[in-house]
Amino acid sequence: MINDTINRRTFLQGTAATGAALAATTAIPAFASAGQPVESMSVLTANASFDPVRPEMGRLITQAAKGIGWDIKLAAEDYNLGIGKVFKEQDFDMFIVRWTGRANRIDPETFIRMQHHKDGAYNKWGYDNPRINELGDAQQVAMVAEERQALVHEAQALLHEDAVRSPIVYPSMTNAYREDRLDGLVPMLGEGIGSFWTDINVSVKHGDGYVRTGQTSPLKNLNPVSATDSNEFKELRMIYDRLAQVDPSGKVVPWAATSIDIVDNTTVDIVLREGMKFHDGMPVTVDDVIFTFDYCTKWKAPFFISSLEKFESVTKTGANSLRIKLSAPHAPLMINFFCSIFILPQHIWKDIPEKANVDDVLNFANENPIGSGPFSFDYWDRGKELKVSANPDHFSPPKCAGIIRVTYGSHDAMAAAIEAGECDRTRYILKPALVEDLNKIDGIVGAGYASHGFYDLGYNVRRGPLADPAFRRAMDMIIPRDVIRDVVMSGFAENGGSVIAPANEFWHNSAVKSRPTNVKAARDVLAGAGYSWDGNGTLLYPA
Amino acid sequence: MLDYIIRRFVYTLITIVAVATILFILFRMLPGEPTMQVISPAMDPAVQERMKKAFGLNEPIWKQYFIYMKNLITLEWGRSFVSAQEVTSILSYRFWNTILLMAAGMCMTLVLGIGMGIIMAWRRNGAVDLIGTVVGLIFQAAPPFITGLLLLMILSYNMGFFPTGGMYAPGNRPDGLFDLLTTADFWHRLVLPTLTVGMYYISTPMLIMRDSMLEVLGSDYIELARAKGLKSRVIMIRHAARNALLGVVTIAGIMIGFAVGGQVVVESLFSWPGMGQLMVESAAQHDYPVAQGTFLMLAILVISLNFLTDVLYSYLDPRIKITAKGLS
Repeated sequence: MINDTINRRTFLQGTAATGAALAATTAIPAFASAGQPVESMSVLTANASFDPVRPEMGRLITQAAKGIGWDIKLAAEDYNLGIGKVFKEQDFDMFIVRWTGRANRIDPETFIRMQHHKDGAYNKWGYDNPRINELGDAQQVAMVAEERQALVHEAQALLHEDAVRSPIVYPSMTNAYREDRLDGLVPMLGEGIGSFWTDINVSVKHGDGYVRTGQTSPLKNLNPVSATDSNEFKELRMIYDRLAQVDPSGKVVPWAATSIDIVDNTTVDIVLREGMKFHDGMPVTVDDVIFTFDYCTKWKAPFFISSLEKFESVTKTGANSLRIKLSAPHAPLMINFFCSIFILPQHIWKDIPEKANVDDVLNFANENPIGSGPFSFDYWDRGKELKVSANPDHFSPPKCAGIIRVTYGSHDAMAAAIEAGECDRTRYILKPALVEDLNKIDGIVGAGYASHGFYDLGYNVRRGPLADPAFRRAMDMIIPRDVIRDVVMSGFAENGGSVIAPANEFWHNSAVKSRPTNVKAARDVLAGAGYSWDGNGTLLYPA
Repeated sequence: MLDYIIRRFVYTLITIVAVATILFILFRMLPGEPTMQVISPAMDPAVQERMKKAFGLNEPIWKQYFIYMKNLITLEWGRSFVSAQEVTSILSYRFWNTILLMAAGMCMTLVLGIGMGIIMAWRRNGAVDLIGTVVGLIFQAAPPFITGLLLLMILSYNMGFFPTGGMYAPGNRPDGLFDLLTTADFWHRLVLPTLTVGMYYISTPMLIMRDSMLEVLGSDYIELARAKGLKSRVIMIRHAARNALLGVVTIAGIMIGFAVGGQVVVESLFSWPGMGQLMVESAAQHDYPVAQGTFLMLAILVISLNFLTDVLYSYLDPRIKITAKGLS
């Protein structure tokens, strides 16, 4: 029996408070430069070598801003520099970024609380709305899915009305593969055919049975404790088993655990699958699972520590079962933790880092990873390729002989390799225009697959006119979404509206619609908020 | 002679220390923090601090510098921030890949360049001389990323004669150097990058050899050889070319140094897992230990080659005298 953590009264009180919160957030702030021209600002984004699409979107948006008499410049910079400016220094005006459809982002925690709560780790926009803070906290502890859904829907509506950011488009996961070589690919929400489900279900029609999988970003490391990047997770999950997995439609399904029962809001019972073995032949036991939790807590594993800190105790309750007591309810635990953490072999990791001659597990290279996953490790050439082979003893053995993950220098090089038959499929995004071209070639399929990620124009609400919700709404209305969707994204996208994409069906609020592009309506919104224009058409602050 | 060599050796060491210091400063001047690549900025600040501590980035810069210099001397070049692998193990693998590519490129450059230089000088002002000079200069003027890209487009993408890149076919990593060198696929993949390197550098030995040959061919002993009735080929190869080689030998060391440094473009273009590609990768990822190690290793190689060239120069040409002040 699962107890409600938010009672209905609290929920209704919250809903009633929305109107007041909305009224508060939409109030016109008092500008220091009343009646003066709105200052020029910039749109920061990654350069074309990182993502050819972002600067194009930026250019179109800067052009469109002329329609409301506002001068904005495009600053296409090195991706990491941009990330540093936004996340470390908060030194930016507007920022175009792609929030990729990672499996853990199917849970609304990332796009509701982390992004918009005043204490959210990703809230670098300076946004602070008391009602959103309440909703963010409430959805985190709401263990009943339908109640959590209602809170998340309300938050989406409020965020959209407040125009704290402008989701530009929801891009499809654009992938390509050789249909003359591969069979049985399983697209997954947010990951397309680069998914884990493709890894274990794909078969090769001829040749050595290995699937040559291309990606432009290099694999960084093979340490399951220090991994934080989706690149590492996508490869490590082939080698290491996890307690649960996110299935192709985005639902949590048991994996190494045969069941994960939420006994009450703070108690979770787990039963481990029997007969599992690590690649070195040692059995996978519940002690390995408990060791993994303890080890990652002891070494503060960067990705898992925030979940592990909610653990009050972990107790072995049987030969194959354990119970976790939480210090407080935590709804995102299922995807963010159970579908993410890798089961470590205790007999190997108990001596790490001491035997590896390093002082911190973060400095352990784990050059010969041994897990219990459906693939066993063959080799990794840093910067070039990773090779894993099928583990026939796994409870879900792969249908191919193995996977070879090859790093290519660019999207064009990867597309050329697919065309030449040197690469069988892409793991991650391939430039939409190349997907279109490849699709015209016999034996190759280029397609877009549903994703819950989105391209986003984020506003630094601490700065100038961006502090004004009416101004942000007007900005949202001038974004040429149709052009971006059809030309820049070659049709592999939908217009953006809510911060939870329609592909994420359960959590998406379908009442939140994309604002149609309408410059005149945007000018009307600005005029209604007190803005005016001088003789040259330059936008002026409200007097 | 020994005094000179010792003094040059000391200068070489001082230069290496200076390069190491400059590298240390340069990488810390790069905008952006190295931890950005390794850990999400959304992570808990305490976790980020711990990452910095694990990588030694929490120490003051001066302390980091002394630790860095001490580690350089003791050959403990640390671990990659990104992969946690030992820098020396990454470098040793990548170094030989670069050496293989460079050796192939330099062999082509020197053999063809010297051969062409001899023929061009022998047939001075003829069609071969003119065409050789023009083509050599065009190759030199065309940057490797243009020639390489053209070769890739024509011979690989369009005609399918060669693979698009890499040192071996995906999934077929050879077991060691011997296995690699005895694989036909490796030699097949080596052709295009070798051609790219060779085409760019060929004009240097070719034109130097041509000029040296022309100088030598005007010498009295060549006249004497002709007067003795020796065959043209004997005069050209045994008497003229051997003496003219000195100029090429001295420039070869410097050229090889440049070629090693210039592998960045070629390796990136042909996905060749060498030092050049590693340099780009590690600098982009702010992986200080690997980036510093890669740049330093290349610097040591170039500086050492210059040192060897100086010593060889004095050994090969007996006319060069070594005094207390150096060469004269």
